[in-house]
Amino acid sequence: MPEERSRQVFEVAGGDFGGKLMVTRSTGRVVREALEEALAALPKGGVLYVDTRGVELMDYSFADEALGILASRVASGEYGDRHLVLIEGDRDLLENVEASLRQRSLAIIRVEKVGGEPSIVGQVPDHLLETLQAIYDAGSITNAALAARLGLNHTACNNRATRLAKLGLIHRKIETAAPGGRQYTYERVV
Amino acid sequence: MSGVLTMGSLDPAFSAATQIGGEPVVLDLRSVEFVEPAGLCGLAALLEYLIPRCEEVGIALSGRDVPAYLERMNFFRLFGDRVRTNADVASLEERRRHNPGTLQELINFHTEQEIPGIIERISEILENQGYRLKERVAICSVLSEVCSNAAEHGASSFGAYAAVQAYHHIVSGPRRRGEEVLVAIADGGVGVRETLSRNPALAEYTTTDNDALRHALEMGVSGTGEIGRGGGLALVAGIAARSGGSLSLRSGTGRVTVYENRKNSRYVPEFPGTFVRVSLPRTPQEKSAK
Repeated sequence: MPEERSRQVFEVAGGDFGGKLMVTRSTGRVVREALEEALAALPKGGVLYVDTRGVELMDYSFADEALGILASRVASGEYGDRHLVLIEGDRDLLENVEASLRQRSLAIIRVEKVGGEPSIVGQVPDHLLETLQAIYDAGSITNAALAARLGLNHTACNNRATRLAKLGLIHRKIETAAPGGRQYTYERVV
Repeated sequence: MSGVLTMGSLDPAFSAATQIGGEPVVLDLRSVEFVEPAGLCGLAALLEYLIPRCEEVGIALSGRDVPAYLERMNFFRLFGDRVRTNADVASLEERRRHNPGTLQELINFHTEQEIPGIIERISEILENQGYRLKERVAICSVLSEVCSNAAEHGASSFGAYAAVQAYHHIVSGPRRRGEEVLVAIADGGVGVRETLSRNPALAEYTTTDNDALRHALEMGVSGTGEIGRGGGLALVAGIAARSGGSLSLRSGTGRVTVYENRKNSRYVPEFPGTFVRVSLPRTPQEKSAK
């Protein structure tokens, strides 16, 4: 079973700056700075849920500035082992988020509600999608078990999972295995 | 000047404007019977070009419909004290200003910070007029993206002008049944070609204005080259194409129009800045059930 993670839900349509109509890069910058503050305040391994369900319109400029750049910083490791998850239904609003993340060759996890079934917004190569699905199906799985399930050697499997962990789509734990070895375990983020 | 004031019908005036040597100028609009937002924004940009270069600028109008429309669209509020006209503006101001098709009167803006207010207002008007969420999102997304581009790349002494109008018939191309929303924006900035020229990686795409305009409509093309930039215009073109409409982008001597399945370009008289016109037809199934 994956371990319980700290989480915070950030409602984009609420708060001092929020609203139903989220447009322009300058508005996106203000929202991103608030999201960055919330993300940095989470304990290691924590998940920041960005809830955009109350938003009617999010233009590309806002989506890229608020979510695209933030996802890019998460993927670069700026926030350590902290994760970003979007709470949003399958609707047109996702088009601009999707376009921004695809431009950046990034992806984030999306759920329709906290505890809901996860899916992906953005771009993940097909071979990584298979690995991601296997990790989410298992909940928590060692590199050895994942490699066996996917028919890969351990190094190839670890490389794939490392890329997914860098994108912030999974959590990777390193455990000591006797004698003096290391064992990787991958866990779903939500 | 033809009966319909569009951006294209102002071409002779833009050509002549480059020859102006400070003398008084009168724009003869007496044959104009119908003004669309593109013509209104084009006229505003033309006047902004002429006013600092001429001793006096006048516009000649005829009848009451066109002057009344210009008054309803706030044209005289923006230009009344800078342009001489034969229209009796005082009597027009006393008339009722209600115009259900006007979604955004001619508005002048300079900064990105002004855009959320513009979008909130038009969204409220659209909602009150029964536009469905999907339609409101399309119109507001188009307007916010092109306004953002104008505010970011079109810095000039006058900033940018925008106008949005809804029609109970299709006005783009041959007039026919249906409904259409037209969005127009004109700025007085350096133009698309010079903006893209700031990115050395785009050198091969900035040989002509039309090359630059065509390339600017591709996803991810920007003057800064930063990842994530240059997506707005491509998405606006996609929204217009999906609705069965079009996007026209004009800057310098180039003009490119994008439809669902084709892209046309042609050379036109120099436009001092960047101009965008977006046509968003409303199909019957898109209209709100009353």
